[in-house]
Amino acid sequence: MLSDNDRIFTNLYGIESPGLRAAKRRGAWDGTKKFMQNGEDWIINQVKESGLRGRGGAGFPTGLKWSFMPKKSDGRPSYLVVNADESEPGTCKDRDILRHDPHLLVEGCLIAAFAMRAPVCYVYVRGEFIREREALQKAVDEAYDAGLIGKNNKHGWDFDLYVHHGAGAYICGEETAMLESLEGKKGQPRLKPPFPANVGLYGAPTTVNNVESIAVVPTILRRGANWFSALGRPNNTGTKLFCISGHVNTPCNVEEEMGIPFRDLIEKHAGGVRGGWNNLMAVIPGGSSVPCLPADTCKDMPMDFDTLRDLKSGLGTAAVIVMDKSTDIVRAIARLAYFYKHESCGQCTPCREGTGWMWRVLDRMARGEAEKREIDMLLDVSYQIEGHTICALGDAAAWPVQGLIRHFRHEIERRIDEYAANPKPDEAMVAAE
Amino acid sequence: MNFILQLFTWWNGQTLGTRFFTWRKGERVGEDGFGNVYYRERKGRRRWVIYNGLAEPSTVPAEWHGWLHYTVDVLPSEQDYTAHDWQKPHRPNMTGTTAAYRPEGSVLTAAERPAATGDYEAWRP
Amino acid sequence: MPKLIVDGTEVEVEDGITLLQACEEAGAEIPRFCYHDRLSIAGNCRMCLVEVKGAPKPQASCALSVNDLRPGPNGEPPEVLTGSAQVKKAREGVMEFLLINHPLDCPICDQGGECDLQDQAMAYGIDKNRYAENKRAVEDKYIGPLVKTIMTRCIHCTRCVRFTTEVAGIHELGAIGRGEDMEITTYLEKSMSSELQGNVIDLCPVGALTSRPYAFSARPWELRKTESIDVMDALGSATRIDSRGREVMRVMPRLNEDVNEEWISDKARFIWDGLRSQRLDRPYVRENGALREASWAEAFEVIAERVKASDPSRMAAIAGDLSAVEDMFALKDLMDALGVKSIDCRQDGSALGEAGGRAGYLFNAGLAGVEDADAILLVGTNPRLEAAVLNARIRKTWLRTRLPIGVIGEQADLTYDYDYLGAGAETLSEVASGKHKFAQVLKRAERPMIIVGQGALNRGDGRAVLAQVVSAAQASGAIGENWNGFCVLHDAAARVGGLDICFLPRLEGGRNVGEILQGASAGDIDVVYLLGADEIDMKKFGSAFVIYQGSHGDAGAHRADVILPGAAFSEKSGTYVNTEGRVQLARRAVFPPGDAREDWAILRALSAVLGHTLPYNTLEQLRAALREECPHLAATDEKPDATTSELGDLAGAPKRARAAGFTSPVDDYYLTNAITRASKVMAECSALRTAGQSEEGTGTDG
Repeated sequence: MLSDNDRIFTNLYGIESPGLRAAKRRGAWDGTKKFMQNGEDWIINQVKESGLRGRGGAGFPTGLKWSFMPKKSDGRPSYLVVNADESEPGTCKDRDILRHDPHLLVEGCLIAAFAMRAPVCYVYVRGEFIREREALQKAVDEAYDAGLIGKNNKHGWDFDLYVHHGAGAYICGEETAMLESLEGKKGQPRLKPPFPANVGLYGAPTTVNNVESIAVVPTILRRGANWFSALGRPNNTGTKLFCISGHVNTPCNVEEEMGIPFRDLIEKHAGGVRGGWNNLMAVIPGGSSVPCLPADTCKDMPMDFDTLRDLKSGLGTAAVIVMDKSTDIVRAIARLAYFYKHESCGQCTPCREGTGWMWRVLDRMARGEAEKREIDMLLDVSYQIEGHTICALGDAAAWPVQGLIRHFRHEIERRIDEYAANPKPDEAMVAAE
Repeated sequence: MNFILQLFTWWNGQTLGTRFFTWRKGERVGEDGFGNVYYRERKGRRRWVIYNGLAEPSTVPAEWHGWLHYTVDVLPSEQDYTAHDWQKPHRPNMTGTTAAYRPEGSVLTAAERPAATGDYEAWRP
Repeated sequence: MPKLIVDGTEVEVEDGITLLQACEEAGAEIPRFCYHDRLSIAGNCRMCLVEVKGAPKPQASCALSVNDLRPGPNGEPPEVLTGSAQVKKAREGVMEFLLINHPLDCPICDQGGECDLQDQAMAYGIDKNRYAENKRAVEDKYIGPLVKTIMTRCIHCTRCVRFTTEVAGIHELGAIGRGEDMEITTYLEKSMSSELQGNVIDLCPVGALTSRPYAFSARPWELRKTESIDVMDALGSATRIDSRGREVMRVMPRLNEDVNEEWISDKARFIWDGLRSQRLDRPYVRENGALREASWAEAFEVIAERVKASDPSRMAAIAGDLSAVEDMFALKDLMDALGVKSIDCRQDGSALGEAGGRAGYLFNAGLAGVEDADAILLVGTNPRLEAAVLNARIRKTWLRTRLPIGVIGEQADLTYDYDYLGAGAETLSEVASGKHKFAQVLKRAERPMIIVGQGALNRGDGRAVLAQVVSAAQASGAIGENWNGFCVLHDAAARVGGLDICFLPRLEGGRNVGEILQGASAGDIDVVYLLGADEIDMKKFGSAFVIYQGSHGDAGAHRADVILPGAAFSEKSGTYVNTEGRVQLARRAVFPPGDAREDWAILRALSAVLGHTLPYNTLEQLRAALREECPHLAATDEKPDATTSELGDLAGAPKRARAAGFTSPVDDYYLTNAITRASKVMAECSALRTAGQSEEGTGTDG
């Protein structure tokens, strides 16, 4: 259980003003200049030592990522891009940062950009986030007015921060698709290699970081890397924003230590599972794209990257979706499959064609209008998508389906049997579309 | 003349034997548009036709064909059947005559042939 | 030089090539749809997946550079497997995904038989279908009169999009929609405006984009393929004429890296319907003001009568834009035998070929040389209309190096950025004298190139313009030992050949085209022999006796007093010399229609009637005579290095040129010669372009 004075996002719930004065009172912009005087390498080392792992889902060590940026420019500028295109179903952590603690993000951008020698930072805000963008823009304007960022600012490092508003495509949360979108093109992921750290935005070295990864950096520097790495478990250090939604008594966003047991997380912050722990059926622990876990495996698991990976799931964005026994799990996953079908960019074949196929089969399975051999076929199709696509959306679309079949095959089979025993002839036929 | 034809050929109207049989047992029941005359046995169930001129079975129209082949027992003249406006009048088989069917593009039709490989449009002053 | 192991064999490959190319070099075939050598890499079809040892998932080989492969732990070369179980499974999976929404309408698809998807499904697919849902159907789009779309077949490889944006330089084709609903379209369903759009038909790996004029007319295996040369412009693009029986069914590009890479212009591709209309298929003789059909003998008799009654000085011959070298050679020999001095092959009236040697009228740097140039000046030419494929090459070079390009002449959309220097000769003289700032650009460039088009040369002062161009080239150092950047861009396929055999007015008393016309109007010329020459003002022939020999009933045939039906380029074996002096052979694909004959044979027969029998009875004998007279025509398929020693003579000519601006000789790209004017497809394209906006198309008609 994280003690209150170890919290980074002290205004997560918007109790205080998000403005500059209130943020400064909470500790933001304190000692920023000093960190920058310590030099780029010191900052990167601190972040490395803190063990901070990217909060966007993949969990790549942030300090390591920063160190890939060129130390000396070859004539091209470097760019920092902050990914605020938070569209993963179940995830709403960045949204609260943008709304209530934007100055932590602005300060983080300055420090991170300085560490990577990037004179310009773009924050790509999700298209649906209207008020959030306004809140962030307000904070940016305040920072400009106060001389914290911009030309000839107090910190002695000319730095510009632009807030870019997306148009509401899930795929633009993928880092290279985001760069394409920023460049004004259709948001479609690029081929890697070359990686953005080499050839990114406008062909220049670029680092793309999640909002949370950037926003925690100032506090890490202020309180020291050791403080951060002492929290959590080895290799999964620090605090993390958890977004608890679904069948809990009080759904909430909460900052907690990494590795907190699932049961503690739900009991302490979400008021327990609706109808008690025996009513728990499944949990999607990291946003819609990770496989779900059945109740018996997840009740006491520690919530961190490595444990969940070993359970063949993932921490993802730590968006915990709790489902009790009233859930129609097949229909729920079919709905997710529809989401991925809808959000596939259409660039590469397996994802374009496969997501629609999976959704159509799952849609029938949810009604029971399928055959049992199709379960294996569906699993095979999901493996044909996974790992064969340009970006990770193909994987993200395949994993929930794999999780469903891995843990709830009996449920699908039961439904098929039921339907076979009593097909509903009076129900109107609906075309697959 | 007719008598001699009937004596020596079987393909003109009727033979002498048929003529005799018809006289003895036949009951005339009707005639179709081509002038073919239809008979049935007065005491019995035989039905037959005596062609008008050349014995060409395809001249028997559909309605008489049905009766003649015992498909129906009601005589066409006794049916209250009216033809649809889209029904064409009966035509005997024209194969072997100049009126025979030729598919489009046949060299035997007078109509212009369809375009084929190697055609060109010549310049004319 | 990275090393890698492909399927157990170690190969050493060039730096920077893709893994797909490396595998091909090692002899492993990699299936692909979206990858194309000449287009950017999209990596979206996922068909080219291979297994790289050490990588967690299969890699798209088309997008992976060999330099990005990591060596093994002990420094051993990276290992690639193209036939492993993982690769096989991946390919089958991708192929299955491609096919689930692809209609199985191969029997009615024009691509059937030459379809990448068909072939690769046979080779790399599985034989059964697990997809039980409804298939996707996509509405067809209207993208112009040349390219027909059946968009349900599209597999979204985006080759067409990449071709139009990168090579053709028009941003009119793109993908809209997302995921399954992604569609290739021209956004507003208007027709594409490129002169190279037909190439998307070849690029499309499935039957989504097919040739609209060719639709449903033949199957690839029925066609006889004949290698030929395009005569619609002077580039001599390599083409393949596909014919069935006596009819040309379509024209396809062939690969020729030095000339057309693998593109051809729309005029070359869609001209074939002009080969079957407006054909001259029998001789005609004018009697009492009206043409009547005649036999060959009659026609020859009429000609012989007029020729014998006339004096050689009162006779003339003009060769047209589509004539093969052999035809012009036979006509020249005949005219020489008759003692006629007024012969000319430059029906546009340009002043080329009179001085300066062969280098004075050739595209000396070569078409491929455009890629080496580091500054280009276009004088009086719009290469987009005059030589669309060359324009694509200039664009390619520009995309790669952003070289400075200057234009003197018309201001047109050339698909690349250029400095507009001025309209006419005065700007040119500023550049030539070094006063203009672009002269410095040319001077600084190591390999500057000056392309002069017929628009600058076909005027009365063409000689003076040419002189200025040459002096500009000399001043900027374009003419040197290893680099000759003085380039004449012709617009007629026959022109260089005609100049090569010296089909030019004889020195004493010879008249050029303008003077022939003048003489005819004035009554000084009695007999004019037109060899396929249609681009001259026929009214000026006055009362002269006009003999027209050609393949199509066009301007010349309407004016003619005797018509001798000849063969079109597809119907004879002929030599063509392209604008860079490359001698190329076009082979006969079909026979001439009706009584029409090959042109050299007509001239040979006529010569016998005229009493000056030409000394050759076969085409081989003719060619032997031709090569004896012009030895450089024996070297086929080579770009000549013409000597520059005489080029200086050109600069010495009078340098005063008229102030009027240069205009391109091609005002309507689709209607430039007799064959195009006979083509309905070209007429439709021309009408569309003139109208500016496309007619409303449904995309399903056709």
